[in-house]
This record gives sequence, C-alpha cells and structure tokens, in this order.
Amino acid sequence: MKSLLKLCLLSLLVALVAVILPITSHAGESKKYKRSVEKYTIPDVVLTNQDGKKVQLDTLLQGDTPVVVDFIYGTCTTICPVLSAGFINLQSKVTAANQTVRLVSITIDPENDTPKVLKEYLKRYRAKAGWEFLTGSREDITRVMKAFNAYIPDKMSHYPLNMIRSPKDGTWVRLFGIMSSREFLEEYQNVALKK
Amino acid sequence: MKNDFSTTKVISTRTACAVLLMLLCAAVSLASVPPAVDLPQSEVLRLGERMYREGILPSGVSMPAFIRGDVEIDSSAFSCSSCHLRGGLGSFEGGVVTPPTNGKKLYQPYRRPPSLDDSHDQAGRYVYAKTVVERPAYTRESLANAMRFGADPAGQIFNDVMPRYPLSDRDMSILIGYLESFSSAPSPGASASEFRFATVISDDVSPEDRQALLVPLQKFIDQKNQQLAMYEDFIKFGYKPTIDMQYAFSRASLDIWELKGAPESWPGQLAAYNAARPVFAILSGISNLDWRPIHDFCEAERLPCLYPITDLPVISETAWYTFYFNKGYAQEGEATARFLHQVKKLTPQIPILQIVQDSPVGMALANGFNKSWHEQERQAVTTLTLTAAQLRDKTTLAALIKKHKPGVLLLWTDAALVPKLPKLSKQLPASALLFVSSGYLGKKTKNIAEALRSRIYISYPYRLTPFVGSKDGGFDAKVPLVMGAESLGDRRIVSRSTTMLRQATLRGLNLLYDNLYRDHLLDIMSTQMDLIVRDYERFSFGPGQRYASKGCYIIQLGPGANPALLPKSEWVIL
Ligand code: HEC
Repeated sequence: MKSLLKLCLLSLLVALVAVILPITSHAGESKKYKRSVEKYTIPDVVLTNQDGKKVQLDTLLQGDTPVVVDFIYGTCTTICPVLSAGFINLQSKVTAANQTVRLVSITIDPENDTPKVLKEYLKRYRAKAGWEFLTGSREDITRVMKAFNAYIPDKMSHYPLNMIRSPKDGTWVRLFGIMSSREFLEEYQNVALKK
Repeated sequence: MKNDFSTTKVISTRTACAVLLMLLCAAVSLASVPPAVDLPQSEVLRLGERMYREGILPSGVSMPAFIRGDVEIDSSAFSCSSCHLRGGLGSFEGGVVTPPTNGKKLYQPYRRPPSLDDSHDQAGRYVYAKTVVERPAYTRESLANAMRFGADPAGQIFNDVMPRYPLSDRDMSILIGYLESFSSAPSPGASASEFRFATVISDDVSPEDRQALLVPLQKFIDQKNQQLAMYEDFIKFGYKPTIDMQYAFSRASLDIWELKGAPESWPGQLAAYNAARPVFAILSGISNLDWRPIHDFCEAERLPCLYPITDLPVISETAWYTFYFNKGYAQEGEATARFLHQVKKLTPQIPILQIVQDSPVGMALANGFNKSWHEQERQAVTTLTLTAAQLRDKTTLAALIKKHKPGVLLLWTDAALVPKLPKLSKQLPASALLFVSSGYLGKKTKNIAEALRSRIYISYPYRLTPFVGSKDGGFDAKVPLVMGAESLGDRRIVSRSTTMLRQATLRGLNLLYDNLYRDHLLDIMSTQMDLIVRDYERFSFGPGQRYASKGCYIIQLGPGANPALLPKSEWVIL
C-alpha cells in the first residue's frame, strides 16, 4: 500500500518535471529545433501504404487540412521512437479537439519495409486511422527525400525532421530537431489556424 | 519596453528552475536506494531482461514512460534495447549518441562524444539533442534517479530523447540488477588476446564445396595471426600503439565442427564441440540440409552464426543469433508471389496451380510463396505435393493439368522436369504463365527450350547489374563483372564467404574494442550502413534484420546456348 502511494507520487513527479522542463526552455527561448518555411515540389510518384494500396503522393498531400510528414523506418533505433511518439501524441491531442489530423510517414528503408512491416509498426504505436506509412521503390523514395531537401545516402545517418503543409498556401513548415510535444502541437495549430 | 520584457523572462526562467530543483530534491529523497529483491538472481535477470528488451514490467504489464519531455507512452512500441541496443553499449543513430547502459560502464566516470549538431547556433541556442558529455560514476541510487528523472550523478539533465521511467523500487531494483550483470565479462571464446571461431560443415557437403568454404576462412585466420606477429615486432622495436591499435590485433583460431549422421544428432554434437572449446562466433558454415538444428543451437546458446552457406535458413522475425545472406528458397517463392500479385490481367477466376516436389527445397519455395501470397490478402492457391517418382511419371502431371486447367502454373521441382516442359506447356492455354526456381533447377535452368523462354518466368535471387570489384567478392580491384547463364546454379561459396569475412570483421569485430560481447557484435553489425556486394544488388541492415539481401529478380532467358538473363521485375518487388 505504502509503495503504491509512493509510485503514484513518483509518476506525478515525473509528469510534473516533464511539464516544467519545456516551460523553462521555452521561457529561456532556447528552442532546441530549427524552423523555416519552405516551398516543395512533390514528385509524381505512386507509393504503397501499410494496406498494400497504391497512393499518388502529391494527391495525398493536398487537401484542406494540414498534413504532417516525416521520414522513418521499421527497425530504426533512437530517432524513430521519438518522432513516432510525437505523431501519436499529436494525433490524440488533435482528434480530442474534434479536428482531423493527417500524418504521413515515409520509410527510408524500402528494402525491408514491406506493407506488412509498416502495418505492424503502426500497430505497435497504436496508431489510429489518419496516419499513413508509405513505402515504394528505392528510386521513388530517393526522389521524395530529395524533393523535401531531406536526402541522405544511407538510412543510418538520418535525422529528425517534421514537415507540416499549410492547406492555405501549400507552403511547408520545416522543423529540424527534437521538439517537446507541446511545441509540436503549437507548430501544428499555427499552420492549421493560418488565415 | 523590450528590456522589461526580457527581464521578466529571466525571472520566470529562474523561478521555474528553482521549482524544478525543489522537485528534483524531493525526487531524490523519494527515490531511495532500491533495496535488493527477495528473488533468486536468475529470476532477477529473466525479469530484468524482459523489462530491458520488451518493456514489460515484472507484473506483466507494459512499462510506462515519458518521452520528449511530456509525452506519456507505454513501452509496447519501444524499450531500452531499441536505443541502447541489446548488448547495452549504446548506438549512434539519427545524429544522437545513446550512451552505454551496462553496469560496467555506468559505475565508472564517463566521457562521450557529442551528438551531431550538438552545438550552439549563432544565437547561442542548442539546435539539437544536447548530450551530457562528461559525468561521474553512478551508484545504484543515482542510477535509479537517472531513469526516473533523467539526471546524471552531477545533476545534469538528459535530453528529451531518453525517456523517464516512473518505476517502483522493486521494479527498479530488478532492472538495475540486470544492467549490472549484462555485458560485464567477455563472452566465451573471446579475450583481450584471442578470438576463437568455428565453422560448421555437415557430411552431405561435397569435398569441393567444403574446400571452397575452408580456403577463404583459413586465409583469413592466417592473415589475422600474421598481422598480429608484425604488430608485436613493431612493439618490440619501441612503437607506441594508439588506443585503437591496441584493440585492432588479436590472435584468431578456427575450429571445424564436423556434423555427422542424422540431423537429429547434430545438437548433441554441437554441444560437445562447444563445451570442449567454446567459440566467440561461428563464421559461415555449410550444409545442403535444413539449417534449423544449427540455428536452434545458436539461438539457445546465444552464439552468433555469421552468414552460413545455406538455402534452407530458418525464417523467423524474432530469431537473433544467425545472420543469413537471404531467405534462400523461401525468398524465391516470396518474390514470385509479389510478382504475380502485380500481374494486372490475373483475375481471381484464373486458377493457379502450385506443384510442389516433396522435398525440403520444394516445401521452402511453396512456404515462401504461400506466406507472401497470403500477405497480399489473396485467396489460397491449389497446391499439390508430388514425389520425384510421380513427377517423372508421364501421365500423372498431364492428368492433373487437365483436371485443374491452370492459368498460372508454379513448378517447384528439380531439373528432371526441364526436358518435359515443352510437352507440358502444350496442355496449357497460350496465355498461361509458368514459374520455376533457378535455385532448384540449378545449372540446367539454361536448358529450358528456346521456344518456351518467353513464357517461363524464373526466380533469381542474385545480382544482375554489373559489379565493380574483385571477382572473389572483395572490394578492391575494379573489374566490372556481369552475371550471365554461367552463374545459374553457382553456389558462390568463395565469393560469399569472402564477403562475409570482410563484412563481419571490418564492420563488426574490428569495432568491438574492449567490449568483447557477442550481443554487441551483432548490434554493431546490424547498425551498419548498406553495402554493395558482389553477389547481391544490396545488403541492408537494421536492429533485428537478419536477412541482409532483400531482393530477388524474376527473369526470363534470352536465346542461344548461353542465354542472357533478362530481368522482368525490379530487384525488390513491392
Ligand atoms: C528513445 C531512446 C531511448 C530509450 C528508449 C531509452 N534510452 Fe536511455 N538514453 C538515451 C539517450 C539518448 C541518452 C543520453 C541522454 C543525454 O546524454 O542527454 C540516454 C541515457 C541513459 C542513461 C545515462 C547514461 C549515462 O552515461 O549517463 C541511462 C542509465 C539509461 N539511458 C538507461 C536506460 C534504460 C534502463 C532504459 C529503459 C528502461 C532506457 N535508457 C531507454 C536514449 C534512450
């Protein structure tokens, strides 16, 4: 009983520390990520989603709600858990506010990441509908990476990057680095509310 | 005005920091030294390992964690080993350095390399994951504190990549017990002065194949020992080695583990060899039979087995200790299914007949096909398993084809069927598609009658684009090499063994330094960059990926006695 109480206290503390930390960093204006606004031309490629369905990428990325894009892969170590935890959190926060959020992850390990691997990855993260995970031929994936100015010759040297497309003017907010989820949500809302 | 603004900011930051500090102090007093638990050590290790690898608490529920500062996530998606890797020596990925987390390293002061871009930008702000660069040694207490609140013994706060884990004292104690124990003493077969290796050869292997395997292996061992002798001479003459150099040279030996008789008796033979003289890893190996007994032994002993020459590997998504070149015959079957799935004119009404020769090879091809076909959410195909005698019989096959009227015929048989193909194909409609395996037909693949070559699709799991590099599979010489019909049925034992040795040493053994742990070897081998090798278009890696080559072409033969191999698909078919 006593230990249970202690555990509750502990969880509370961790959560508190976690909430305080981003506030301090925010107040100190020491943002840990780089932000810029970019224009990208999406290449004319057909990729395959986690259900094995073909999707025309430029069509998928259009529409009148924002789209968030990242590059990950099924067996990646440090960065993907962080990026995907961010996606999941954004998904639950935004859907809780009765808005829809569209998330698109694109694999940079197309050799290994078959639709089945993609599907299992999403399941592991308990993704809800609206998070698409895409694979394709290496050539097409390379074209997409290049279009987003995110090309890396080898997946082992990739870096954390999120891009949010504004439905208003088609520009992209490019976020390089690791954000707290609060910062991520703010960036997303700024794009969503853009007049 | 502007000034005022920034002052308030400073104050608010200070206040927040003070609150934080208070919280942390409270936390430290709360997080007392985790007491030893009343469990036998083996239980502590089992439960701790499960927490570390699978993110499951001793109670069986998933471990809660906070990541990126404020995201609560349970550990079903990722666990400690996702980032610190199974051997616990950490990783360098996505530009972020994940430090070691084995007790041996944690209980010593440590300095680690900064993460990529782990620096100030012009405005003096960090642009990336800030890493704690130097810290004092941990105690059990400060270690618990690190995992709960993300602070090192000097109070420096970790970046947001490392999750915070609110664990009870008891669970914490189990996890720490595991961290203290794993990757602490060198694995069997390795010491600062020597690596012992073995290779496995079963008695069904021909003397030529055996020789083809042993020559490059022996050469490798001799070279290692020669290098060591030269290095020792240098030392004698007063050369002072750099730290890297000290670990680059060590004695190596190779035992040959001969397996005799029925595969059921192999586990006993392997255990006897390993007990007499344990080895650090098995380098390659060769058998024409199912690799499973050896695979299972390595899994149970946690013994790495690096790239054996087998086309009958164990297909598993969770097995850890054997690295295979590819999935062998199963990969050919899979590629066929994926290719067929993309054939547009293939309606569900068109019957598909899969004829399987009753042999391990036939079964492996069919299993690969069925699994992949099922993944495409296709209806199961009609599968008939026939003995070699039934296949040779003139009427059996003809009768079956007449009965099933297939529009697609998969023939997972050996080359005895090649001369019968012309007659057989006459029974099929002109639009029918035929599939065979180059692995199973071997050298005789090229005897497929010319008139049929535009109708028969062949699975071929090797490189087709010219390879620039030496013939034996090394990377040095620049001889563009084009694969033709002569490569059908070639087992590529010398070239593949050479690739294995280069790969396993340059990007594995040589990077171990003083961390002589088998799990660490597999970790570093699986986080290496993609490779272009002689026999496959591409090798790719990732933690848990165990089949380095993911591709397989579907080809057709060109005309003539020495036909060209004409790709009809991509290397990797989606
Ligand atoms: C998403 C990746 C990730 C996961 C999951 C993770 N860690 Fe870490 N861990 C890190 C990173 C990155 C650091 C370095 C943080 C820094 O330097 O700021 C770290 C630091 C540590 C440290 C401090 C090491 C030192 O030398 O100071 C310990 C101990 C540790 N982790 C243990 C664990 C344990 C135990 C688990 C599982 C319960 C775990 N970590 C899960 C990424 C991770």
